[in-house]
Amino acid sequence: MPIIDVHAHVGHWQFHLTCGDADDNLRLMDRYGIDLQLVSASEAVVYDAVAGNAALMKELASRPRLYGYAVVNPNRIEESAADLRRCLDSGRFVGAKIHTHYPGRLPGSREMAEAFDVVAEAGVPLLLHTWGREVTQLPDMVASRPGLRVIMGHAGGDAWREAAHAAASCEGLYLEHCRTAADAGRVAYAREAGVPVERMLFGTDATLIDPCWSLGVLRDAGFTPAELDRVLWRNAAALFGLEVPA
Amino acid sequence: MSTSTTTAHDRPPAYEWLTPSPREQIGWDVDVLYGPWPRHHRDIPLAEVRRRLDRSPVCGALALSTRGPLFDDRAGNEETLRDLADCPELLPVGTVDVRDALTAENRLDELAAAGVRFLRLFTVEQAADPGFPGYRRVVDLALARGMVLLHDGDPRRYGPPLMDRDADVVFLDLHAYLLADFLLMAREEPGFRVTTRMLSGPDSVERVVHSVGARHLVFGSRTPFMDISPLTLRLRYAAISDEERDAVATRNIEELLS
Repeated sequence: MPIIDVHAHVGHWQFHLTCGDADDNLRLMDRYGIDLQLVSASEAVVYDAVAGNAALMKELASRPRLYGYAVVNPNRIEESAADLRRCLDSGRFVGAKIHTHYPGRLPGSREMAEAFDVVAEAGVPLLLHTWGREVTQLPDMVASRPGLRVIMGHAGGDAWREAAHAAASCEGLYLEHCRTAADAGRVAYAREAGVPVERMLFGTDATLIDPCWSLGVLRDAGFTPAELDRVLWRNAAALFGLEVPA
Repeated sequence: MSTSTTTAHDRPPAYEWLTPSPREQIGWDVDVLYGPWPRHHRDIPLAEVRRRLDRSPVCGALALSTRGPLFDDRAGNEETLRDLADCPELLPVGTVDVRDALTAENRLDELAAAGVRFLRLFTVEQAADPGFPGYRRVVDLALARGMVLLHDGDPRRYGPPLMDRDADVVFLDLHAYLLADFLLMAREEPGFRVTTRMLSGPDSVERVVHSVGARHLVFGSRTPFMDISPLTLRLRYAAISDEERDAVATRNIEELLS
């Protein structure tokens, strides 16, 4: 039974943690049986999107179990649009990642709307850092860009109730529940709100967070084996067109 | 889009993490509550909290009613003592509302008379800063009675004023991002401890154990408001010895109780 992690990172973080090169990712993946991991570069998220994406491309070249997200900085939209095309052309990137905290741009801003346009034009899934009630704007932003599919990374953070209702109302929105403060009942709440299991994904935030954290959330969520299969890999394989080892 | 297949790699037994192991056994969880909490989407009574713990690897817990911190400390303490009298797996924790510190002495005497050793503070809910007179009064009285503080809030703010006082303090809200600040304090404070609740980094637990010792770490889940399995799995897979794991899961709190 495979596992695909759709939310992870490669590289250094500015906290008191041990996390460095992509081999750290692979060690943690092996520990928990994670087959494939979709990663963005921490440098690209926190500091310099283009330089971080370029460094990640080199790391991915020799590690076929890792696939990349190209980070798009909404404040550098033309530069990021060209960089996204360059990354996708490499064949080792399968999506785009947009953070909201580090660039200081939220859904509802002009810059974020332009960034959504760029990702929709590229035709790949978007992993969006979501952490607040601005998630209520996402259904309209996604619905107005046909074909765009957005993974709500952290499932809204503290705004997980709002995120659940947003996802329930829009077929282009997916929930991914990784976060340190593992509030109980988030998955059950989302399901009661109407989010189908087909739009729930497994993500870890590794290597910022140990993958067992998100595995524990799934264990406590009480999925059936068939549902777990979907959340742990089938939904991600379908969304990204990934093949996994038999 | 179809991408290339992956290379073969060694897999652990399928979904091994899905089944709890003996290495997840927890003797004492220091962070358990029950009762109404208006901001949450539903209330969780004591009976359901006990069912959750019973289904988990947690054997015992330090618990209190939410009535004390949110509404009425005296009535809440009475409720906790009454409710938990019939719950052998739960030990009562007391609280004092730092917004009404003039009554703190009476509250603490009542708790001491009932044999309560742990005092939980709710500075976030009660909007108390470390310098507020009421907060300082409560802390002074509790430490003078030799109580163990179960302390919420940011340890970077509440920790420094508690140093050099021989205080036994368990910080309940330390996020992995703030670990370095806690370790700096713990080097000098043998009585400072932190719970595992938000030590989510791949080596956060290991950094505490290997830099200042397992005695500074205890298990705390915040049941029923947080999932338990992320925390027990983290301890299960932590690169620490069985003896260190037992200290974190059980022995450190037993020493405080003895």
